[in-house]
Amino acid sequence: MAHVHGQELPASTAENMEAFFNGLWNQNPVFVQVLGMCPTLAVTNSVRNALAMGLATTFVLVCSNTLISMVRKLVPKQVRIATYILIIATFVTIVDYLIKAISIPVYKALGAFIALIVVNCIILGRAEAYASKNPVGKSMLDGLGMGLGFAFALTCLGGVREILGAGSFLGIHLFGANFQPWVLFLLPPGGFLTLAAWLLIFSSWKARPRKKAEALEEIAA
Amino acid sequence: MSATTQSPKSPARKPPATETASSVKMIRLMGSVSLICGLLIVTTYRGTLAPIQRNQEIIMKETVAELLPGVERQVVYGVQPAGGITVLKNLDYAGPRLFAGYDASGALLGVVLEASDRGYADVIRTMYAYSPSKQAITGFKVVELKETPGLGDKITSDPAFLANFRHLDVRLNADGTSTAHPVTTVKQGTKKNPWEVDAISGATISSRAVGRALDKSTRDLLPIVNRHLGRIEKGE
Repeated sequence: MAHVHGQELPASTAENMEAFFNGLWNQNPVFVQVLGMCPTLAVTNSVRNALAMGLATTFVLVCSNTLISMVRKLVPKQVRIATYILIIATFVTIVDYLIKAISIPVYKALGAFIALIVVNCIILGRAEAYASKNPVGKSMLDGLGMGLGFAFALTCLGGVREILGAGSFLGIHLFGANFQPWVLFLLPPGGFLTLAAWLLIFSSWKARPRKKAEALEEIAA
Repeated sequence: MSATTQSPKSPARKPPATETASSVKMIRLMGSVSLICGLLIVTTYRGTLAPIQRNQEIIMKETVAELLPGVERQVVYGVQPAGGITVLKNLDYAGPRLFAGYDASGALLGVVLEASDRGYADVIRTMYAYSPSKQAITGFKVVELKETPGLGDKITSDPAFLANFRHLDVRLNADGTSTAHPVTTVKQGTKKNPWEVDAISGATISSRAVGRALDKSTRDLLPIVNRHLGRIEKGE
């Protein structure tokens, strides 16, 4: 894990980069940790919804990680979860108002899932596993990396589902009028199928270099 | 986890004085965190209030303009519980709202009203244009729905279904207290009367919800529109 050796030493650039890329790729919350499945399956029926959800979650993650890291030495162990949830819920309420102020159609499309960011296990997970043990700068970068990793994964799912299910990308029609959309991909089963396909691609991708190393070892032996 | 496993072993070792101190500390911390959070929320609420209201007004205005082509001026009325109407400055109103639209010469084009009922997944919210001179619904739009893609959501796009609302007869009865014929949804292809809505096969529940919503809204609100037509025509 990246945070084992980063207690109170001034964080180097390499460490900061690691904190950032960890969430974006190596420990991607959806494709590697398989966390936050509820919004992942529910709001990825279009790229616009997926992006909005991903960015909203990123905002909450960055803000809550920062504030939690700031107060981490003051929080008694017994009330830490309550304090984290309080901080997370505050930023979720803020993001709720902000989305309504930016675009009402997006707000309506995301519906209850904005409020449900409070119980997204990625956010409480990062608060407990990272922000409560690491300095502010690194916690902020960890939140940013994890959030963007989540947004990236949702957009991957949303892209496939919108292209196959509606024949468009970000609302722009890609195929002619003869295209018969696979409505299945906009429905919940399509979410599961797309997620399964992406998990398969991602894990076989991650497994590939290990196979090469093993093959090299075999040759050497 | 570690806190709960340790606590049964060491209750005697902890003097009570520190426990009270730590409770005070906890309360103080939670109190200050809550205060900061409260301030953040209030600041955001105040900051976003105006843009949110502006967004809602823009969406409403656009919908009214879509339902009443050629509209130049809009006046919004709120329906009071007793049946009177009052001009609204702000769209925030608990009761039913009437959106009157006027053309460039100031003549009333029609009144846009809201109608909603339970569909298959959630409440379907719609708006429709009512023409007092034709005594008919002349435009219809679904403003919010969560129906199944490919099935129930056809009510927003199916051309044959939307054709129902180009002229849907909602004339009032002789004493003007309700509609003469309730708006009814019929099986696809069996529409005979101008007040019937031809359903979409495969989206029967959603089509029926639209019919029910329109029926209820027209029965409740059209008598009020007609009673105050003189005022609405003048736009006051």
